[in-house]
Amino acid sequence: MDHTRDNPLKRFAAFWIAALLIASFAIACVILRPMTHGDVTTIYDMKAEARIELVSEARAAQEAALNTAGLEKAITEPSDNLHKQVPTPGSKPLVAPAPAETPKEDEKPAPAE
Amino acid sequence: MAETTSNADSLDVDLRATIDRSLRHPVMFFFSSGAVWLALSIVLGLIASAKKHAPDFLSCFSFLDAGKVDAAHMSTLTYGWGAQAAFGMLIWLMARLSRKECTASGIILVAGHIWNAAVAYGVLCIMGSGSLGPWFESSGVAGMEFPGGVWVVLLVSFIMISIWSLIQFQVRDAGHVYVSQWYLLAAMLWLPWIMVTAWLFVFVFDGSPLMATGIASWFKGTVFALFFLPVALASAYYLAPKVTGRPVYSYNIALFGFWSLAVIGPWVGMQKLAGAPIPQFLPAAGAAAMVMILIPALSVGVNILRTVQGHGKAIALSPSMRFTASGIVLFVGYGVLSFALNNNIGLKVSQFSYAGYGLDILGLYGVFSLCAFGAIYFIVPRITRREWLSRRFIRWHFYLSLYGLASIVICAVVGGVFQGQGTEDLTQPFLTGARRAAAYGWGITFAWGFLLLANLFFCLHLLLMWARLGRRSSHPTLLNKHHAESPHGPEGEVDNYGSATI
Amino acid sequence: MTFKSFIFGLLASFGLPWLVVVVFPFSKMRALEPAKFEEGDRKGQAYSPMRDGRVNEGSKIYGQEGCYHCHTQLIRPTYAGPDVHRDEWAGLRLTADNPDTRRETVPTDYDGEDVAHIGLGRVGPDLSNLGRRLDHYLKGRDLTPETWLYLHLYSPRTNTGYVDKDQEIHSHSTCPSKSGLFREIPAVQAGGQALPLYTPEGVAVIPTDRARALVSYLASLKKDTLGAPLPEAYNLNPTAPTKE
Repeated sequence: MDHTRDNPLKRFAAFWIAALLIASFAIACVILRPMTHGDVTTIYDMKAEARIELVSEARAAQEAALNTAGLEKAITEPSDNLHKQVPTPGSKPLVAPAPAETPKEDEKPAPAE
Repeated sequence: MAETTSNADSLDVDLRATIDRSLRHPVMFFFSSGAVWLALSIVLGLIASAKKHAPDFLSCFSFLDAGKVDAAHMSTLTYGWGAQAAFGMLIWLMARLSRKECTASGIILVAGHIWNAAVAYGVLCIMGSGSLGPWFESSGVAGMEFPGGVWVVLLVSFIMISIWSLIQFQVRDAGHVYVSQWYLLAAMLWLPWIMVTAWLFVFVFDGSPLMATGIASWFKGTVFALFFLPVALASAYYLAPKVTGRPVYSYNIALFGFWSLAVIGPWVGMQKLAGAPIPQFLPAAGAAAMVMILIPALSVGVNILRTVQGHGKAIALSPSMRFTASGIVLFVGYGVLSFALNNNIGLKVSQFSYAGYGLDILGLYGVFSLCAFGAIYFIVPRITRREWLSRRFIRWHFYLSLYGLASIVICAVVGGVFQGQGTEDLTQPFLTGARRAAAYGWGITFAWGFLLLANLFFCLHLLLMWARLGRRSSHPTLLNKHHAESPHGPEGEVDNYGSATI
Repeated sequence: MTFKSFIFGLLASFGLPWLVVVVFPFSKMRALEPAKFEEGDRKGQAYSPMRDGRVNEGSKIYGQEGCYHCHTQLIRPTYAGPDVHRDEWAGLRLTADNPDTRRETVPTDYDGEDVAHIGLGRVGPDLSNLGRRLDHYLKGRDLTPETWLYLHLYSPRTNTGYVDKDQEIHSHSTCPSKSGLFREIPAVQAGGQALPLYTPEGVAVIPTDRARALVSYLASLKKDTLGAPLPEAYNLNPTAPTKE
């Protein structure tokens, strides 16, 4: 045996060189991981965009149409009036005050969520 | 025989004997189990072919359904027979060429058993999908039908088998590097590279289903071009000079042949997806690479056949040379057929017809397996120290193989071309193409019968040798005709190898 | 040639095709930007045909049963083959009742499946629009596409065979009889699941779950333009005829 070329140390080194060469393309896959992984834009995402836009628009419009001032007034005024009134026996039924002014195109505000 | 050897020569003979002894168990294991898988794969091929024109054949067995049996046939042929024959050739050739004995034969033997178990499990998964429960389901990927985990086991056991040969090469004595060694080295690196790539991109990474199919197709093509072909060529480049006693015709042509395969080979495979909605250059590159396989085929063909030119007697007498030379001639034929079936015109009729199958079988059986048989007929006597028992078995194996192979390839290619033309011809209903194919299908089925017979002889012969029942003789079994006196000379003990060239 | 130069040569000659054929196309194809319509009333919307049925499971079973060995699912563009014009493989031809719906395969056609079953051979017909053909030819008959498929898988040659445009039944099929996908049970237990087959007295044949998933997948194979017109980017066909 030619000891300059074949000894246990050389064999050890040769083993690891061989292992490295064999694994080279697996290592390459790890290095190129960003190309093979990661989120992609799917049809779902694109449709979600349109859907989210529509919902935001609707919500914004609803927010804008919500008359918070009128709502406040419509609740607090009758409740104050009712609170002030003292019931007497035999008197006529109380007349509730008219509802507060609300802008024409809106319907009665829905109960606050 | 006369002892004309000097001290150095007899040391060399001892070294070779030591190498052979160290490799006896792993190599015989690979060859024997491979031969059994080959017989099984041929039976499955026969059934698969029969199902296409006689669909009620054996239909009582659901595990033999068409589709499943096709996948089982190709898988056993490739990974049961082909891979194991290649492993045996690879480890023996590299050990002999690097002149290093094998110190890891125990590990290789264990790895070989693991390989066998994994392939057996994979085949059970293919044939038992749906009827053996959730642990036995195939992947459903064309070309990689074994379940995902099996590929990892196969890869690891291959590394356990081949890394020792890579080490042997690196610690070899300084001197000439043989062409075969370049081919073997490349094959040992290419196979893990393509296996890990295919496994990761098909089974692990999340991507487009089209690319999963494409990469599996790439894998199927490159396993042949970058593993089976280099091992077969390594064996041919070893045997041709060895048996004829002449050097390789041209080292430069040999290098050119090697590098042309290295450059062209990795592009093959995607031509099976021509017309699919993937980047158009992919199938175009695959088809171009298949067309250009003719270049390494011609280089190797010229080189090897020039080496043995004038030694017709050696080819006629030596079983190894007969099989190897036939394999190389068929490699040139493979190159020509690949050119014809993968160019613009040919691809239209071969893409979805039997013709593609014919080309695959020509490659796996005609080129690789015939070279493997040549190597086996050479190697087994040396590692078992017995000679082949029967010239007749070898002759029948040879002629039945050639006849069966030629029939399969001709029927598949011609039938496939007619089938393809029938399908492409819009004036004919689809049934026309299908009917034409059925007629040639019968031819293919019968041809598999001949191959089965050929390989039953081979399997029996090999198993007898494995059981150490070969002839004790120092004269090799040659394929010469009957002589008045035995050409083998007087029977003698097998303690020396006699002429180093045969 | 030294070992070092050999290794460099091998890494380079393998590495380039590895990048160009495997890695880059894989990374591009997994992140295909969904195609958008450029004109018409769907302008700006993304093309997203839906598939009904158990596509993923059924596709897996299709692969395990090995159907791709004999059937393809690929309508190639005309430079690669005439599939578009063949026998309703690509969609329906123009008739009084329906427009011309034929088209080539586009990348989104395999969405939902793990692997695209492009196929290895055409021993049997292309299946890209099997669901469409069944819906079309079984209209008005008292046989649903699912039942037709169950009968075909159970016994391709005797019960229904191949139905052509003249409503004739052919038994030229060389499809294997996948009887392993079905079970025989006592007829009293079968209820509505029993297949309309001639069976021995008191015995009924029902499909297993595997058969159901496979048939659901097969009936969902409708890769034409009916109900889902193509965006301009995918529409490579010349204009389909609008008059008969």
